[in-house]
Amino acid sequence: MSSLATSILRRSIAEVDTPMHRLDPRVKFLFFIWISVWAYIFLDYTLTAIFLITVLILTFIGKIFKKTVKAVSIIVVPWMAVGIPILSALFPWNKTLIYNVQLFGYNIPLYYEGLAWGIVWPLRIGVCLASAMFFLFTTEPVKLIALLFNFRMPFRFIYAVAGALQFTPILLDDLQTIIQAQRSRGLRTDVSLLKRLANYPVLIVPLTLSTLNKVQIRAIALESRGFSAPVTKTWPYDLSLKRRDYIFLAGIIATTIIFIYIYLVYGFSPINHLQFYIAAG
Amino acid sequence: MVSNEPIVVYENFSYSYPTTPNALVDINLEIHRGEIFGVIGPNGAGKSTFCKSLNGLVPHFYGGTMKGRVLVDGMDTFEHTTAELSTKVGLVFQEPETQLSGLALTVEDEVGFGLSMLGFPAKLIRQRAREALEKVGLKGFERRSPFELSGGEQQRLAIATVLAMKPEIMVLDEPVALLDPIGKYEVLSVIKEIAAEGSTIVIAEHEIEELAYFADRILVLNEGRMVSLDNAKMVLSEVEKLKKIGVDPPSVTELAYLLEHDLGIKLEYPITLPEALKIFGELMEGR
Repeated sequence: MSSLATSILRRSIAEVDTPMHRLDPRVKFLFFIWISVWAYIFLDYTLTAIFLITVLILTFIGKIFKKTVKAVSIIVVPWMAVGIPILSALFPWNKTLIYNVQLFGYNIPLYYEGLAWGIVWPLRIGVCLASAMFFLFTTEPVKLIALLFNFRMPFRFIYAVAGALQFTPILLDDLQTIIQAQRSRGLRTDVSLLKRLANYPVLIVPLTLSTLNKVQIRAIALESRGFSAPVTKTWPYDLSLKRRDYIFLAGIIATTIIFIYIYLVYGFSPINHLQFYIAAG
Repeated sequence: MVSNEPIVVYENFSYSYPTTPNALVDINLEIHRGEIFGVIGPNGAGKSTFCKSLNGLVPHFYGGTMKGRVLVDGMDTFEHTTAELSTKVGLVFQEPETQLSGLALTVEDEVGFGLSMLGFPAKLIRQRAREALEKVGLKGFERRSPFELSGGEQQRLAIATVLAMKPEIMVLDEPVALLDPIGKYEVLSVIKEIAAEGSTIVIAEHEIEELAYFADRILVLNEGRMVSLDNAKMVLSEVEKLKKIGVDPPSVTELAYLLEHDLGIKLEYPITLPEALKIFGELMEGR
């Protein structure tokens, strides 16, 4: 498994204390929703790129920049590489011709609208992904759980989330042990893709069994400590907004007012002046 | 100090898992307040099932069929949920890491988890957590992450999580089975200390040598049935009986048995090293 995938699955929190880590998780969650919504409201590649850069600056402050850029690039770059050429030529709202490309004797016209569309969409996804990573990777699991408590989620749902977060690294460790054990017993991993797929059951079956066993032990241990007692639980982690949270929130509110003004006065594409229907966005 | 008052009563108790019949068969016994009650037996003898029947996990969690009843401090485990029984019976398992709630950032919060689940006030939770951590020798670890601890420390933490609930009975299901020698020493020291304070402890254990030091009575199980139940000295001295079902008695006891069996030297069977030193010393001095 690639180190990035492992890192995301493990959801390792950077062992650092940055202003971003100190922000209240509710504020960061609000920011994730807020910037994702604005990225979808505006259909303007310059503005969406500004959104993405803003989020990346925050991830830089939160010391998760490299990880975020890597994940965003995996989504955004291939999408642009494939989407831009296709949409530039075939997008249904294409109107403004930029250039004619000669390819194998064919004349292929490239249009501004398709190009813009091909750039905006991956950038939007990039904004969502980067802001989600910013929220997840700068929030300690316990604060995440405290957030769910604050949202009055059912306790069993909260535990399901916590369990999933917690079990992923345990599963990955188990998988490594099983792979090493099976290799020691002759499992070949330097074989073709088909053969590797055929090898999967010898890894997945023991992994599933060991996981089920661990899940059961954990469930028993929790139940033995009164997990399902029908009483109001006491939670040791209270979330309270600090000065820095209010400053961040004030920034969000001020920017929202500016965005509303821009949208009402200049429309959904204030910088690039894209002309096609908003429904297209 | 062991009182005569029974805190646990098994009455004709039998239990079968949905997939494994006769996990426990016709268990009749009493455990007294303040008693250190050892449970031994080969693999599959029913030791873990016995432990889980004390807080109602058997049958509530596993299903299956049961006969008879188990009373814990007057509460029928069939009629009360495991959550309700959690302040009566605290259960510690083999594997330290899987017992962690995963919802607590610090050791102190992990200890308080059970009390949080029962809705105790935050101030009391903190106070109880600190007391429990001090008792298991983890004072100073309060702000550490539970996942940073060693196996022995995690198991002591698991014991602290149970101690914080102030249960009437503490049940330990092979608590040192997966620990390294240092971890074993740390955990057994804590258990001995808790035992010396007069708590009621039920401990299923493979480490019979250690159990010999602090168990008041020992129950021997085999294939779900009671083979012996008596004071530790009596049970562990039944060398042939133990070996027949695949349980090794303490080495010093076995040595005394061999001296008698092979060399015809009749002497009292020791079950601990200090006892052996005294008995064998007297033998060597020709007394």
